[in-house]
Amino acid sequence: MIVFPNMTSTGARFRVGVDIGGTFTDIVLLDAAGRIHTKKVSSSVDDYARAIVDGLREVFGETGLSGSDLVEVLHGTTVASNAILELKGARTGLITTRGFRDVLEIRRIRMPKLYDLGWEKPVTLVERYLRLEVDERVDAHGEIVKPLDPAEVERVLDRLLAEKIEALAVCLLNSYANPVHEERIAEIVRRRAPGLTLSVSAEVLPEIREYERTSTTVINAYVMPIVRRYLGTLRSGLDKSGVKAPLLIMQSNGGLMPDAAAAVRPAHIIESGPAAGVVGAQALARKIGLGKLVTFDMGGTTAKASIVEDGEVSRATEYQVGAGIMHGSRLLTGAGYLLRVPAIDLAEVGAGGGSLVWIDPGGALQVGPRSAGAFPGPLCYDLGGTEPTVTDANVILGFLNPRQLAGGAVKLNAARAHEVFESRIAKRIGLPIAEAAYGAHVIAASNMMRAIRAVSSERGRDPRQCALFAFGGNGPLFAAGMAKQLEMRRIVVPPAPGLFSSFGLLFADVEHHYVRTWRRLVRRVTPAELADAFGRMEAEALAQLAADGFTADAIRIRRSADCRYEGQSFELTVPVAGGAIDAETVAGIQEAFGREHERTYGHRAGVEEPVEIVSLRVVGLGIPDRPRVPDALRVDRSGPGRAGGERRVYFGPDLGWRQTPIIDRPDLTTPREGPCVVEEYDATCVIPPGARASLDAHGNIVIDLPREGEVI
Amino acid sequence: MASDPIGFELFRNTLLSIADEMALTILRTAYSGVLRDNMDYSTAFCDGAGRTVAQGLTLPAHLSSFPDALAATIARYGDRMQPGDIYCLNDPFEGGMHIPDVFVLKPIFFEGERVAFAATICHQTDMGGRVAGSNASDSTEIYQEGLRIPPVKMYDRGEPNETLFRLFEKNVRVPVRVFGDLRAQLAACHIATEAFLGLIHRHGVKQVKAYMEDVLDHTERLTRAVLRELPDGEWSFEDWIDDDGVEYGKPIRLFVTFKKRGDSLVADWTGTDPQPKGAITNTLSFTKAATYTALKSVLSYDVPCNAGFYRPIEVVAPPGTIANGVLPAASAARGLTGFRMIDTCFGALAQMLPQRSIAASEGGNTGVSIGGYDADRKPFIFVEFLCSAWGGRAWSDGLDGNANLMANMSLPPVEITEAEQPLQILTTEFIQDVGGPGKYRGGASIRRDYRLLETEAVLQVRADRHDFRPYGLYGGSPGRASQNVMNPGTEDRALPGKLTMTMKRGDVFRHESAGPGGWGDPLERDPLRVARDVRNEFVSRRSAREDYGVVFRGETVAVDEAATIALRAELRARRGWTSRPGVSR
Repeated sequence: MIVFPNMTSTGARFRVGVDIGGTFTDIVLLDAAGRIHTKKVSSSVDDYARAIVDGLREVFGETGLSGSDLVEVLHGTTVASNAILELKGARTGLITTRGFRDVLEIRRIRMPKLYDLGWEKPVTLVERYLRLEVDERVDAHGEIVKPLDPAEVERVLDRLLAEKIEALAVCLLNSYANPVHEERIAEIVRRRAPGLTLSVSAEVLPEIREYERTSTTVINAYVMPIVRRYLGTLRSGLDKSGVKAPLLIMQSNGGLMPDAAAAVRPAHIIESGPAAGVVGAQALARKIGLGKLVTFDMGGTTAKASIVEDGEVSRATEYQVGAGIMHGSRLLTGAGYLLRVPAIDLAEVGAGGGSLVWIDPGGALQVGPRSAGAFPGPLCYDLGGTEPTVTDANVILGFLNPRQLAGGAVKLNAARAHEVFESRIAKRIGLPIAEAAYGAHVIAASNMMRAIRAVSSERGRDPRQCALFAFGGNGPLFAAGMAKQLEMRRIVVPPAPGLFSSFGLLFADVEHHYVRTWRRLVRRVTPAELADAFGRMEAEALAQLAADGFTADAIRIRRSADCRYEGQSFELTVPVAGGAIDAETVAGIQEAFGREHERTYGHRAGVEEPVEIVSLRVVGLGIPDRPRVPDALRVDRSGPGRAGGERRVYFGPDLGWRQTPIIDRPDLTTPREGPCVVEEYDATCVIPPGARASLDAHGNIVIDLPREGEVI
Repeated sequence: MASDPIGFELFRNTLLSIADEMALTILRTAYSGVLRDNMDYSTAFCDGAGRTVAQGLTLPAHLSSFPDALAATIARYGDRMQPGDIYCLNDPFEGGMHIPDVFVLKPIFFEGERVAFAATICHQTDMGGRVAGSNASDSTEIYQEGLRIPPVKMYDRGEPNETLFRLFEKNVRVPVRVFGDLRAQLAACHIATEAFLGLIHRHGVKQVKAYMEDVLDHTERLTRAVLRELPDGEWSFEDWIDDDGVEYGKPIRLFVTFKKRGDSLVADWTGTDPQPKGAITNTLSFTKAATYTALKSVLSYDVPCNAGFYRPIEVVAPPGTIANGVLPAASAARGLTGFRMIDTCFGALAQMLPQRSIAASEGGNTGVSIGGYDADRKPFIFVEFLCSAWGGRAWSDGLDGNANLMANMSLPPVEITEAEQPLQILTTEFIQDVGGPGKYRGGASIRRDYRLLETEAVLQVRADRHDFRPYGLYGGSPGRASQNVMNPGTEDRALPGKLTMTMKRGDVFRHESAGPGGWGDPLERDPLRVARDVRNEFVSRRSAREDYGVVFRGETVAVDEAATIALRAELRARRGWTSRPGVSR
């Protein structure tokens, strides 16, 4: 357990981040001086809010702080994604255009796997008998072809109410072009069933493509009652504990939104968890002046990579909830529930400490994607595991402490790892056990490198020009080896890497993202119509931020446009200049798109090739009254199991076994050469021979790798 | 294994990611809908001899497309290839698949030696010929189908072959799109070259060659290991294509025999009908692709797609048959034959492996193209391929609304179609009672209605399973036949499966895909599942009663158990099976 130092509450302003995982809830406090205090409590699966409130009370008891010392509560939650994965959302109905009630279930029709006779589609969130149609039609230009009959809407609504729906989604064909029929239906619903949770597609996602819009609107409706209930419970629990501070929720796009906004647009908070770590990396990168970095977050079952360039995260315009993890290819989609809202662009592979090491029928050594999970876990945990895992290989190699992890909280049985790895792997491929274990380690690394390539070289970004920012329980262990393979020369490991995701919450800003389909050839766009279109979206953003409590001078607006060469179907998002919109602004879009196309794909078309705007985007940012990232981070932590001594570590056939010092992070205040291993409570960082490690002013471990043939 | 097992696995991983990266490059930069939405393209990495070492994951129908293309190109240019050369071809009689599929192949040189090929194949929007889209099913000789390109140089030592590009420009209807897609192919080849030279830099050329050899040997070992698990023996099956769209009403027979012994297998298409007049004749490479796809789907292990997989499997098809055409066979619409071959293979494999079997799916996609000129004489071309649903499986229902195993295509969004084409789509929905009843029923297929908003257009449809319905297995019933209708509800004119006709403004064309077959005795289906299907209107009350023997209480969907048991007993007695039929058509 982590013991908090006693802190006086004389005017210190504390911000608290709360990150809920399946097993543990992490509570992180940050004071104005940059001191970080962490607390881990068991998640209360029946009522996640309870663990948070109880955990905070414990923290208050341990530290002497009180609710009034907190100025913000920042929260990443899996409540919404769990509701989807476990199919425990609201009983939801759908009203749609005649002839199109099956859009939701037909999906894009493609499947995520080839040659798989066993494929089953995900269960549809709204069963067919709860999807009802109204006989109306708006065309692609927004003209009404067949008017809506209010009496029919009432009949259809009554049928759904008789089926006792708890939430209703409305998505009509072409409503992105003219939402008037959807608005009429919403009026009728609000009048006839005022208590019913309602999600209307033109409000949730006024974008072309009926499946994407329907799916997003349905998910929004499906999770809304659950999210609303949960945030209500949490808010009242906080109130009762004397916490009056605002509650801000992490969105999938890496921005925060107040609880009231999240209750209306829950589709934006589904992948709240993984976003936080990347935002934390982004904030630290801005602070320490790293231009380009690849974040690498590896835990027990998956590894995730993402890119941050010039202080900006990269965002995807859509993703699939519950799609499972990628193994090998990003080409095949359709496995989960499609959400078309911006999300931090993460590439995820099924590789973690628990990934199984095995031999295929052709005699090749393989790692993952199957995992031993938390239970039975690796062999060395001695919980009944029978198959070797990546963690077992790391114990054999001496990368991990052979006796214990987490400062003694987890005892290891290294002998069992050796015994099984020898008989099941090493013997069968005819290699000494160390070489076989090293093989498993580097194959796991090469699987994960595919995630890094997916976010870098596959988008025209050269990983060699990026630093590798490694966190998660296993990230710092693999980072140096992978960086070497990818010819990346610098690795940064932040303080408390295993808890880093929860820090990210503390560094994020309030953001609201808006998108609208607006199809025009750039060469035909007039500044006036562009200004009008952006103006309307910006008004929406300004109103929301004002409601969040931001004054006009604390609001920033960012514009961008999704463009493509006419005829292409994948768009690239390019920034649009702020301020007054004139002919130069419009020309700037054309040029910015050409540049981005060249950067991403290596070529741009000639000027005669028309560029088309497909959608406009606006992000409204709320600027806090003081910066959210402190100058330096210091993690207060005491407890048993401080590192020290030496052990033998295997660094591959070329370097062999090396007697390696085991050190604490502060030992790097004086830079030192590898090999050495930094053992911390929540992670182990390996510094191989030839690398040099030091500690920067912010408490980060910085590892520099030599160029090939170069000696540092 | 000749090289070290760890270095080998790392190398293999890298090669696969190169092939995938090539595929992603094409996906992201492609112009045409066929590529971006249907992923009708593939990428591969081949060794210096032209053997496929790694293939990007895209379209099963392209499984064995690269060996012939590379062999033909090497046969023509062999030692004359130079660094900076890039080759292209589409001629089905010299390495190609069918006219719209254009290969772009780039030899990769290291120190003067050809060490590898980057290879791509993309279905182009148009390659000229008598019908827009170059997809016509009613061409009767290849000379009508479009620009026929034998292996030629697209770039000669880095210089573009201007003659060839000019020919493209003048022969295809939408040169901007075609050039855009060719550029995507070139970009993919470029990326592969860089990545491969990086591998040589890291490992040395000798080691890289050894690894490539190992990749093929490893895959061959995997394939033989999983083939060994299958029972030995011989299994045959026949299925039919309605007709070729030229000689209406003349069915075409497909016949395959799988002969499996030990760790190798022969698929023999002898007994298949001679090549027809219509444009549905396969190259041998396409027959192989269909055979491999079916086989790969029933194997217990996901074997990589490379030349090592092909080694223990022999595919035989006599020349002059629809399975292996000779001049002047037309082949633009041979996708249909591939789909039917999958059904034929699954019928044979169902006898070998009943527990892994699947009843016939919807019969493959239906091609719908609507093209013409608007008031300003600007051409419009709308082409889409509609997949629908799967047959019932030995363990589960067929999938409702899912791409066919042979072609993992996506369904084009209605809103995009309406924004870009003079068309209105009136419906896209599941059809009731379309899938064959069974313990595991056939999936629900899709109906789509198209209304023309321009003055006039030519409608061309390539559908099948209009006469020969998708078969059911082990007591499951066949699915319903496909239907094409002009102006449903008003004129209600029934149309044949394959057609070319004129549409006028306001005309509505309806296509209903065939229903997949069911698996197992419908009287054994859990009545609660029937009730759920009725509530969701996948199955009508009439079908619940007559096909499944399920009786509900009044107008509810509550099952009347006693009445159901009685009705099922009566239906069993009436049909008088002595044993469960293996195949129902």
